[in-house]
Amino acid sequence: MADETSNNTAPVPRTSRPMSEALLNEKWDRCLSSFLIRSGLGLSFGIVFSVLLFKRRAWPAFVGLGFGAGRAWEECDNSFKRATVPSRDGLRVIRP
Amino acid sequence: MLRASIARARPGLRPIAAAARPQWRVAQRFYADEKKPITDTVPPTTAPSAAPANPGEPGDVRILSSQTPKSPAPAAPETSASRSAPVEQPETTPPTGTGTASVAPGPIKPTPKPKKRRLVRALWWLTLLSVLGYGGGVYYSLVSDNFHDFFTEYIPFGEDAVGYFEEREFRKRFPGRAGSPRVQPQVPEKKVTIPGKSGLGARVAEEASGSTVAKGPHVSAVEDKDASKGQQPQKVGTSTPEQKEVDAEPVKTAAPPITPIDHLNVSSADEPIVQDVVQILNGIITMVNADPAHGNKYNSALEKAKSDLSKVVSDIKLLKDSLQKSAEEDIKAAHTRFDEAARELISRLEVQMHKQEAQWKEEFETERERLSQTYQEKLHSELDIAKQVYEQQLKNELLKQSIALQKDFTAKVRERVEAEREGRLGRLNELSSSVQELERLTAEWNSVVDANLKTQHLVVAVEAVKAALENQAHPKPFVTELAALKEIADDDPVVSAAIASINPAAYQRGIPNAGQLIDRFRRVAQEVRKAALLPEDAGVASHLASLAMSKVLFKKSGLAVGADVEAVLARTEVLLEEGDLDGAAREMNSLQGWAKVLSKDWLSDCRRVLEVRQALDVIAAEARLQTLLVD
Repeated sequence: MADETSNNTAPVPRTSRPMSEALLNEKWDRCLSSFLIRSGLGLSFGIVFSVLLFKRRAWPAFVGLGFGAGRAWEECDNSFKRATVPSRDGLRVIRP
Repeated sequence: MLRASIARARPGLRPIAAAARPQWRVAQRFYADEKKPITDTVPPTTAPSAAPANPGEPGDVRILSSQTPKSPAPAAPETSASRSAPVEQPETTPPTGTGTASVAPGPIKPTPKPKKRRLVRALWWLTLLSVLGYGGGVYYSLVSDNFHDFFTEYIPFGEDAVGYFEEREFRKRFPGRAGSPRVQPQVPEKKVTIPGKSGLGARVAEEASGSTVAKGPHVSAVEDKDASKGQQPQKVGTSTPEQKEVDAEPVKTAAPPITPIDHLNVSSADEPIVQDVVQILNGIITMVNADPAHGNKYNSALEKAKSDLSKVVSDIKLLKDSLQKSAEEDIKAAHTRFDEAARELISRLEVQMHKQEAQWKEEFETERERLSQTYQEKLHSELDIAKQVYEQQLKNELLKQSIALQKDFTAKVRERVEAEREGRLGRLNELSSSVQELERLTAEWNSVVDANLKTQHLVVAVEAVKAALENQAHPKPFVTELAALKEIADDDPVVSAAIASINPAAYQRGIPNAGQLIDRFRRVAQEVRKAALLPEDAGVASHLASLAMSKVLFKKSGLAVGADVEAVLARTEVLLEEGDLDGAAREMNSLQGWAKVLSKDWLSDCRRVLEVRQALDVIAAEARLQTLLVD
């Protein structure tokens, strides 16, 4: 996918705005990376807590992982939901 | 530390204390007791000094005074309890000292002495104590206001003593105002002393009628007043000596042997200085008259002075008269001089006027002659000019007549010549007109050819742009082609409007050709298909589901029926393959939601291409129209 877009945009210098058909893919990329990072962070925190406080039980690690993953999911969901509606940043809203 | 140092210092003192009488020690102790309250009341000392400045706060002072009296009473306990230990130390140590002192034969010694000595000693003590007490009282009255009042009121000479110290302090503080005493000399209150003989007595007031009344202090005071009253009018009315004499009579009665001196009366004392002198002298005379004890001592001197003064006055008068005479003479001389000068001046002025009159007459004559001459000259010259003008006019009329004659002549000649050549000239005119017509025709043809060429160029330029757009591997900017087209069109309004309708982004970035559009459409279609099953407000889960489900969907092809995304995509593809870009764009524009968002860029590309095509079509149509319009 990324190959094709690069091929397409190569000859003519474009602005930094991504092409419309690559919008969803980009969102997916960001979601995945954030999912990985957040769940990893949560897991590591869980492990640290389990070692320090909970006598090396397994569940704090899983809870941490769950927290991280849930946070990433939430963020991703939000980004998808906000995308369809054109943003109104910087626009003046005139009420009747 | 302090204790140690004082303890160390004590031994030096102790022998003295031991050697001294117990009385001496008592005195010392008393002094120490006296001193303590003073040191205690050092801060209050500032308060009383401030208190007079604002006497509106008596409460404050009262509090202070209530504090200060207390201090002497508890002074003794304080010394033992709260006072610094070094002072206490000697108190504790003295017991041993007192022991020695009691052992000392102080009280034993006086017993053998006679009683007289004891009395003397007691007296001495009394005086010492009283002096000390007095001194202390004075000091404390300086410190405390309340005590000051008490002290000055009840202790004899207390006021003077305190006043003296206050004065000294004040002088020390303000050396500049040393002369003026700060405290006003206290005027003793008017003591009403009732004379012993006043009040009701057994005797009737027979003494009152006695001659002693005149000698009493009361009466004498009245008499003094009268005398002063009499003197005042004397001073005012010195110029009227008669009144003075009347006033002087009571004095006379008081001292009959003294003959009063007459006042000086200078009749002709007009001069202010003389008047002053006379007044002074009169004043002296009145003084002398007023003095009952002068005893005619000054009479001779005053008489002499009077005579001298009168002499002086007469001298002044003489001097004045002489001065007046000389002044009058001077005035007369000046008058005569002024008259002579005036006469001389008048005569001189008359001579001058005569001279000037003669001069003016001469000038007037010469001026008149000159004016008449100039007038005659002017007349001659104007006459000459008029003559010349008249001659010129005559000449001009002659010339005009000759010109008219010549014109007539030429007209006649032409008439004759044209009449002769009429046939040939008519033919020549026809030929020339036909030639002109031919020229005009050729010129018209030229314009036609030019217009044709122009339209041809336009068509060629349009074709060039079209070719450039079709035969590009990648979208390229075609600004140069458009610029050339515009130049060739030569500001044709239709062409410029068509070019203006193109989005600037289109010719700056270039537009894709049909193949590229179809290629991109296929990529877009894949993405759109992934988002085909998304609901209105889709989250992650629905996106995942759509991604998964779109893989399993059957693809439609051909002109499918329906409004779903798959059908729209199929129709668009078909339309694109047919080359109907407009229809394809319309189909894609009918998509909704994520599908539309994803295909937005492709749609805008399509629109740009369509715009450019439309503009080029318009320009080509215009070119064709122009070729048709030429004939």
